[in-house]
Amino acid sequence: MSDTFDHSGLPEDELLAAEYALGVLDGIGRATAEQRIARDRGFARLVATWEQRLAPWAAEIPEMLPPPHVWDRISGALPPQPARPGLWQNLAFWRGLSFAAGALAAACVAAVVYFGAFTPTEPLVATIEGGGQRHFVAAIDVKRGTVAIVPAAFRADATRVPELWLIPPDGRPRPVGLLRPDAPVTLTLSGDLASLAKTDAVLAVSLEPPGGSTTGLPTGPVIGTGKLTNL
Amino acid sequence: MDLDANRSLIAAALGRIPDGDRAALQTVYRLTSAKLFGVCLRILGEHSEAEDVLQEVYVTVWRKAADFDARRASPMTWLIAIARNRSIDRLRASRTSRNMESIDVVADVADTAPRADAALEGVQEHARLHGCLEGLASHERAALRGAFFDGNTYEDLATRMKVPLGTTKSWIRRAMFKLKACLEQ
Repeated sequence: MSDTFDHSGLPEDELLAAEYALGVLDGIGRATAEQRIARDRGFARLVATWEQRLAPWAAEIPEMLPPPHVWDRISGALPPQPARPGLWQNLAFWRGLSFAAGALAAACVAAVVYFGAFTPTEPLVATIEGGGQRHFVAAIDVKRGTVAIVPAAFRADATRVPELWLIPPDGRPRPVGLLRPDAPVTLTLSGDLASLAKTDAVLAVSLEPPGGSTTGLPTGPVIGTGKLTNL
Repeated sequence: MDLDANRSLIAAALGRIPDGDRAALQTVYRLTSAKLFGVCLRILGEHSEAEDVLQEVYVTVWRKAADFDARRASPMTWLIAIARNRSIDRLRASRTSRNMESIDVVADVADTAPRADAALEGVQEHARLHGCLEGLASHERAALRGAFFDGNTYEDLATRMKVPLGTTKSWIRRAMFKLKACLEQ
């Protein structure tokens, strides 16, 4: 069949795509092709089609198990692990959990502890409720001085942001940090805040202008509070 | 390993990577790294370099998994292309192909019987490609092999096959044209 074809050949674009997929281009040729792949969808598709045509040839290359340290290096080269993807960041999951009847607070808290990135040594927990709504669920890792807080039925406000406060028995709110209406956050209880995080303290959430309260005290409405308890 | 189950496992794991799921990348690695390491090693010919490139390959998979479209491509095709491209980029950076042994065009024997790797792609697809490659002139097939398996450039092929640069270009281009026509039949 070798000489029965029209020898006018492949159109220029397709030829470049085929040469790239085959791997026969020199460095400059490859760079040119890669630029086109990045900005020209049609060309990228031509390359993909040629890759598909040629890929079955790789079946002739024997498999070879890479040494175990390669995975360790790959794992080390990935960006730092985000706080538990999946369920942890799935707001619908938390809301669903929150709306469920019965022992839902306990379930939320257990989930916070379970999915949270800390070891649950004596965790303190609080459900922040107000106006008949459970807005957030919080769990404090006393040892590490962190608080993980998850939005439950909290409704985002277009102009204001939720801010978390710790209120010890002296009644003066201490700012902990800004929360996200749509995702869990983990905040650090800096300095003396950690020592105030005990079962005699209360967590509260107020609505503040973007960036948070600048006075050190809540300036907007407090939408919910919750007493810290041992799990 | 079951072919279809494997393919869908890899595709499903690739689909979870854009969510930042490291376990999904590890699944992809577990199922595919032996194949991709083989590919890198074949092109680069040297273990430590192949390991470096294999690492780049999976970091690329981590970053680009969202580009993978299971409706358009098979996961192995996509992964093999990344492994080949990263390996060839590495070759080009070092300015020389590893395999520069001369290719005796006249004595080029037909490819041995296909050693299809059942865990990879359809055996059928491989047989089809193999059949079309068999239909090429032996010098054309030899040139394609040098490019695909050894990462040779046109110039490398001219040296290895002891023919002018223009000749290797026209061989490869004719071969690609015929290959496409044959595969589309």
